[in-house]
Amino acid sequence: MLHFKYLLWLLAGILLPQIVGSATLMSLLTQAVIYALFALGVGILLRQCGLVSFGHAAFFGSAGYIVALLMRDLEFGAGTAILLTLFALAVVAFLLGLVVSRIPGIAFGMLTLAIGQTVYLSTLQSRELLGGADGLNIAWPGSIFGLDVRLFYDPAGMFVISWVVTLAVIYLLDRLFRTRFGSITSAIRDNEERARFIGLNITLPKALVYSLSAVVSGLAGILSAIYTGFISPETLHWSVSGMALIMTIVGGVRHLWGPVLGAILFFFVKEYVGELTDYWMAMLGAVVILIVVFAPNGVSGLIAPLLERKKRVTKTVVGKQVEAGS
Amino acid sequence: MKQKAYFTVEDLVVDYGGVRAIDGIRLALDKGEIRGLIGPNGAGKSTFIDAVTGRRLPTAGRVTLGGEDITRLSIIARRDRGLSRSFQRTSIFADMPVLEQVFLASHQARAEHPEEDALAILKELDLEAYADWRAGDLGYGQQRRLDLALALVGSPSVLLLDEPMAGLTVTESRDLAEHLKRLARERRVTVLLVEHDMEIVFGISDRVTVIELGKPLAEGTPDEVRANPKVREAYLGSAA
Amino acid sequence: MLGISIFNGLVYGSLLVICASGLAMIYGLRRVVNFAHGALYMLGAYIGYTLSIYLNFWFALVLAPLAMLVIGMLLDKAVFRPLQDRDPLSVLLVTFGLLLVFEDLVRAVWGRGNLSIDVPELLSSSVELFGNPTPLYRLAVIGLGVGSMVALWAWLRFSRTGLYVRAASTDPLTTAMMGVNTERVNALVVGIGTALAGLAGVAAGPMLSLAPSMGGDVLVDSFVVVVIGGLGSLGGALVSAILLGQVQSFGTIYLPSLSAVLPFLMMIAILIWRPSGLAGNRV
Repeated sequence: MLHFKYLLWLLAGILLPQIVGSATLMSLLTQAVIYALFALGVGILLRQCGLVSFGHAAFFGSAGYIVALLMRDLEFGAGTAILLTLFALAVVAFLLGLVVSRIPGIAFGMLTLAIGQTVYLSTLQSRELLGGADGLNIAWPGSIFGLDVRLFYDPAGMFVISWVVTLAVIYLLDRLFRTRFGSITSAIRDNEERARFIGLNITLPKALVYSLSAVVSGLAGILSAIYTGFISPETLHWSVSGMALIMTIVGGVRHLWGPVLGAILFFFVKEYVGELTDYWMAMLGAVVILIVVFAPNGVSGLIAPLLERKKRVTKTVVGKQVEAGS
Repeated sequence: MKQKAYFTVEDLVVDYGGVRAIDGIRLALDKGEIRGLIGPNGAGKSTFIDAVTGRRLPTAGRVTLGGEDITRLSIIARRDRGLSRSFQRTSIFADMPVLEQVFLASHQARAEHPEEDALAILKELDLEAYADWRAGDLGYGQQRRLDLALALVGSPSVLLLDEPMAGLTVTESRDLAEHLKRLARERRVTVLLVEHDMEIVFGISDRVTVIELGKPLAEGTPDEVRANPKVREAYLGSAA
Repeated sequence: MLGISIFNGLVYGSLLVICASGLAMIYGLRRVVNFAHGALYMLGAYIGYTLSIYLNFWFALVLAPLAMLVIGMLLDKAVFRPLQDRDPLSVLLVTFGLLLVFEDLVRAVWGRGNLSIDVPELLSSSVELFGNPTPLYRLAVIGLGVGSMVALWAWLRFSRTGLYVRAASTDPLTTAMMGVNTERVNALVVGIGTALAGLAGVAAGPMLSLAPSMGGDVLVDSFVVVVIGGLGSLGGALVSAILLGQVQSFGTIYLPSLSAVLPFLMMIAILIWRPSGLAGNRV
């Protein structure tokens, strides 16, 4: 049943470029899906740890830079460079997470902002290695993971690739968060002190989620770098982190598809409200305020009950049916 | 002089915001003993429990469990050694289903059969009908019992209960008292009970310790403490 | 060269201390991390711009902060007070939304182009300082920074309201029980914090050009100042603003690669080693 739903969404994503006639719309959708993945990265940190990051652009942007450097200076193939980059991000973010995830709430937001700006400003200063303010052009080879690189440059092709990647990430995360690891992280987010008193280690799970969220954001950054063939320091700026956070908040994080929906809404508001008025950012700001105040679970939190009304509620405990224990 | 007790607190001192909140409290509890800890409001009972469970580090003194010094161990290490607590202000996982969190706590406490253990505890505390409920949606009394359930899973050897009866109905309190008695008699669990309900404390405790303004005031069997003039003056007198 | 660097550092440090002390006050009392603070600085600058055209600079310097005082009190009444029991992160996100609204509001009223406020005639000349001709206006900005800090300090120390502010920032509940109208004190403090942002904006007008995005850098720098100084602490903000001004001024000359990053590294170090500094509640 669960897998069937994923297959349906997969099919829908593959078919979508066939029905979308307008090139502008297609390119909009492609951007939206790439950022959806980025927002998903920011979202899982909020969902599983209750932490709001103002610095995830550092992972989104630096992923592109690292891949570019690995290919340019160390002459790795594109596939190897991408995998190595994701691995490196996972390790670095895990170690960073061990330190930063101890910092509570607001201080964590400020800390990630500072870390993000440090990465941004250092990149801006590094003219020789990283091209400074001009950024880097990335020379992608003819094929990446056996796929013709032109597929990645084409909005429709990139849409399908990003869609498949995003679906796969959602599927894997969903599986992961249904395990005991998911229970543990939710428990910690819910009540850190009580979690400690039932004997849970707090730091390790948080650092793991932080690492995971960095890898997901980095994956989005790599897709973006392939799609545009270019990486600029602007992708590291804190306002980019803020944008991803807006998508996450608008979409809501209770459901994993929330941030995805948020990103798609973001780009639609930008495009279509942007046509009606120059002041779409103000509209977006107002939407963010309304959602935070009146619908803390975001748009997905508003529509999920409508979608799920007819479904039978099956509660599971750590992957097992409740009845199994009796 | 009898043998060294199972759970001891020796000359505990806790400074807190420039104030000496706990000043030289000593306790020695045998295995399976129920000890009542009473004192007027502000006597330092919660601070004492916090310092013993590792939520706050004591300034001086020693806490031992089964002969081992646990004064400076982490909360997790204490829990691994069987020290468990409940909270005065209900502390549960509001966003999680009831059974899931008790199961998690049980698993974490290395229960042999965590699922059976969790279900058994829910049954004992009359929560099994709410197993699927989101904890935040429970009523107050049920949340209090869930807090207790989280402390009871995994057969702890020492239980520190911070006003577990607060907010429970008379019948619920009686049932809980019976349950604690059974735990102590049958499973040899050592219980330190901080409680406002004097009737219950004197009813189930083997011994009672009275503290006032962070200092020890009296200790003895419920009858001795009840008869102690200092206690009557400082505490019972004002309560009556 | 050395003298000029110190001087320029002091000029930027003065702007920063005016702006950041507002941010620190709002945090100290309301526990709100106000992401819209940079936008309020910008709004103050634009209001000052218009007033300087229709009246003159001096009116702008007085009236724009007064207008911001009113805006700040409205902000407290309409946003911070209704949300005071909400999770601080939610409030932070709301101010983030406000930031977007304010920026577009300014774009709608004043356009997207860069504007600048004319230097008042009285201060348009230069004086000889460390052997260099130095615009008198910059000297005046330092004076303004010193003046407003002294005024703020005196207000907090010696006035009845200042006493309430100090009391309320330490223990809002007890203060309220003592019969102080903490809501009014809160509104006033948010108002004054906002007015300080506006004052910094107007003062920056003749030196830096006005653009709807001008609040971003100041916001982030103010965060640095306030975190390094211990969130909510005015004395700390003062010291760290001066420090940051010097680091930036010297760094651009001697250590360009490190200077931009250094404040953030300090901020990271402080947040990791002393996150409780964020709970410091002295105003």
